[in-house]
Amino acid sequence: MLLIGRLGLAVIFLLAAYGKLRPQNAVPWTLASLKITPATLGLSMTFFAMQVDSYQLLPARMVSPFAHSLPWVELALGVLLLTGFALRYVSLASALLVALFYGVVIRSYALHLAINCGCFGPNEKLDSWTLVRDGCMFALGVAVTIAAFIVHRRSGPALAASPHSEHAT
Amino acid sequence: MMRSFFYNGKNLNRNSLGILAAACAAFLLLFCVAPYVVSAAAQTPAEWERLSAEKSLGNPNAPIKMIVYDDYECPVCGELYEQTLRPLIDDYVASGKVYLIHRDFPLTIHLYSRQAARWVNAAARIGKFEAVERAIFDNQMAWSEYGTENPKGIIKPIVQSALTPAEFKRVERLMQGCESNSQSEIKGCLVDAGIQRDLAEGELLPVRATPTIVISAHGQQYPPMTGAISWPILRQFFDQLLSQK
Repeated sequence: MLLIGRLGLAVIFLLAAYGKLRPQNAVPWTLASLKITPATLGLSMTFFAMQVDSYQLLPARMVSPFAHSLPWVELALGVLLLTGFALRYVSLASALLVALFYGVVIRSYALHLAINCGCFGPNEKLDSWTLVRDGCMFALGVAVTIAAFIVHRRSGPALAASPHSEHAT
Repeated sequence: MMRSFFYNGKNLNRNSLGILAAACAAFLLLFCVAPYVVSAAAQTPAEWERLSAEKSLGNPNAPIKMIVYDDYECPVCGELYEQTLRPLIDDYVASGKVYLIHRDFPLTIHLYSRQAARWVNAAARIGKFEAVERAIFDNQMAWSEYGTENPKGIIKPIVQSALTPAEFKRVERLMQGCESNSQSEIKGCLVDAGIQRDLAEGELLPVRATPTIVISAHGQQYPPMTGAISWPILRQFFDQLLSQK
């Protein structure tokens, strides 16, 4: 269960990172337009910065640094979840990040901000559907974190002492 | 319960794991993959490229084109205009870097937005779009239902203040038959046709809320952005677009 859960969470983070890093000008959509190149990367992240800005949550000077680092954090968490390295801490960090997203989405929905979510790429309206989806992701993050701690505890002190103990999950 | 369903104490329950795997796959398909497919399908029509020269500012051959779907009574549209579009007009539009296209998208939830759009469209027909749009947004709090001043819905004096008497007379003539605050198209109101065309194009996009911004450059169109975007962030995006060949 933990394996499937963490893989699911990893794929979500990887898709979220890819959605922000891929070229945003894919109109009309083609397979070639999904390729990330150094030339498209800067534009994609600045486009994402505009989406972050539309939440009206961060001061203008913080929008760009946040938007330029978030996709890489998501990518790192996705890769770490895939490998299972330091699973307890990585899953905890993932759950906290998803909790942050969930809180921001709830706030925006409550304020009736008619904006795009920007969660998995552009042109994605923030609505009740987003709340349900992010709620599911939050539940998955919490479940994986709890499971990671339980499995670690059950695996015993001998396994816990091993540097590879968390790969065994 | 978890122990009995997934784990019998020694081995993992394969059937339960299969169900869980299928649920995870369905979740990923539904929430992560589906939005890409839906968004791709929604982005195919290129109808929004048609320009309305009467309500556009700048050089039509500018490297960047930006279409803004606005509702004159929407507070966020006012905020976008005052904090982002004004510096954009004064700087990047004036210097020929950006061609700014206004499209009307009056929402039916706003009592006077359609009427404001009629006045602006009438002014646009005599080449006074910029002045009247600015006056309408600058005085949004005076005439809109969210405003702190009374009376609400009285737009005429605001338009009058932005024009010369001769210009205002011409605009008034174009507004004949449009006096009602009706939020739907009025038969006999000449300027309503332009608003209807903008609405139809917006619905094709589709515009889900106002303000909605569509940026295109180097022959490529970016997905619509909804909500207020601050000028420093937008300028950063434009600078990157301009630096590209």
